[in-house]
Amino acid sequence: MTFKEKVVPTIRIADCLLVPIQIDLDDKTVEKLQAQLLAEIQEQRVRAIILDVRMVEVIDSYISYTLSETAAMAHLMGCRTVICGIQPPVALTLAQMGIELQGFLVARDLEHALALVWSP
Amino acid sequence: MDKMQLEMLAKELGRNEQEEKLWHKFLLIAFLGATGNNLRETLREPLSGLLQELGETTLGEKLKLVIERVPSFPTNELLPLVLELCGKLTHDREQVIHRLEDMLSELAAPIIRIWSEVLLLPLIGSLDTDRAQAIAERLLERASSTRAKMVVVDVTGVPMIDTAAGGFLIEMFSAVKLLGAEVILTGIKPEIAHTLVKLGVDFRMVAIARDLEDALRKAIAMLEEEKRQRKQIALGHSSSLTREGGEPDDI
Amino acid sequence: MARKVRELLAMPADDFDVVVRIAREEDIAIARQTAKQLAQESGFSLADVTKIATAVSELARNIYRYAQTGKIMIRKRLEENGGPIIQAVAIDQGPGIEDVELVLTKGYTTYERSLGIGLSGIKRLVDYFEIVSEVGKGTAVMFEKRRRKF
Repeated sequence: MTFKEKVVPTIRIADCLLVPIQIDLDDKTVEKLQAQLLAEIQEQRVRAIILDVRMVEVIDSYISYTLSETAAMAHLMGCRTVICGIQPPVALTLAQMGIELQGFLVARDLEHALALVWSP
Repeated sequence: MDKMQLEMLAKELGRNEQEEKLWHKFLLIAFLGATGNNLRETLREPLSGLLQELGETTLGEKLKLVIERVPSFPTNELLPLVLELCGKLTHDREQVIHRLEDMLSELAAPIIRIWSEVLLLPLIGSLDTDRAQAIAERLLERASSTRAKMVVVDVTGVPMIDTAAGGFLIEMFSAVKLLGAEVILTGIKPEIAHTLVKLGVDFRMVAIARDLEDALRKAIAMLEEEKRQRKQIALGHSSSLTREGGEPDDI
Repeated sequence: MARKVRELLAMPADDFDVVVRIAREEDIAIARQTAKQLAQESGFSLADVTKIATAVSELARNIYRYAQTGKIMIRKRLEENGGPIIQAVAIDQGPGIEDVELVLTKGYTTYERSLGIGLSGIKRLVDYFEIVSEVGKGTAVMFEKRRRKF
């Protein structure tokens, strides 16, 4: 995948892909991100992707839905998905809206995320 | 109004010496002959003093007496001033109430670090909406900033949990889990257990402990288990990196 | 019924602090950002700013996906006790919703791109919520959120 096709620059760590999301996630962007990640999982043969959403200030129903979809697709490709860095206000909003993020392992921070990636 | 009449009136109005003095000062200025803004500014302090000392009701009664007794009392001038001072008094009282409410909020749900990476939230009192929201927000901020691994929520001090409160707790637990921390719930009394099941409130998404001791034991056990798992992973990795027969490095 | 929606719709555009026309997909993010800014400036807590921004985002998306065009108007008012309150109304001339009650109850299990998730979710984030819809005419949704004293 060429650099200019990437919506979010990713970092390869051992056999997983770190995805730090530092932009505002609007509908189009999250859809492009989904396509990008699936392509990268395939190309790089990673066993897990770690979505770092520390900088994301708003996650609404469609974004959650698309991310959950992405996790399900990754799973079908033999790849685990970990999400870390959900901000407290975002966590509360998601919980109170009754939205569940499905298909993810949830980590406190990167260190925890890496531990989860390699756990059974 | 002459000086003698003024003194007598002050004596009549004041219920004690302190009040007499305040009234005397007030009346003296009121009948000095000033008008308009000047009158209001000079009367501000003595009137404020009277208000503090007597309270609105008594002051109102006494002023009524003064107006009846002395028709030349500048009522029209004073009315806006009286309203302003009463408004300020109410505002000051509201400030005190807000500070007390803040304190109450803190006391009612302090967040305590009972073990490394384990937070305890002892909930006290009813979980009515605004307060409960504030508590949930504080808990999440604290759990996030301290990278807490476990949060123990103790509801011993909550007298009643209905569907709404139960729903709120479930939301709070979900939010904590989205931060990557585990939740242990404890302190559910028999009556509450009974009500919760009857209402269909399902707390099965979190671990539940008998009491605080049990909760702490469970938390430590979970932390130990996680540590053990990490060691295994680390050893597993390093042994795959060393040559055959070599000792794995100490992590 | 739906008193506040009608009240807000009867007001001139000037009475609102923010008016965002929804016509392109990018407008959803614009509506969200503008709402977030207004809430921040009004001194709402971080959690409440997030809720308001999320609610507006949902409303904007519903307009874009189901009506293609519409607008979102937001205003900040002061209550009698002096606290700020944010009111938002989302209007479109789209297909309308046949059974509003059904859409509002949380009866979904799959993550379809349905109107249900957004609307029933918004209701739980805000202090007051009203919706008026007529098939073939359009939909108007309003919500209120006040700044908490705690």
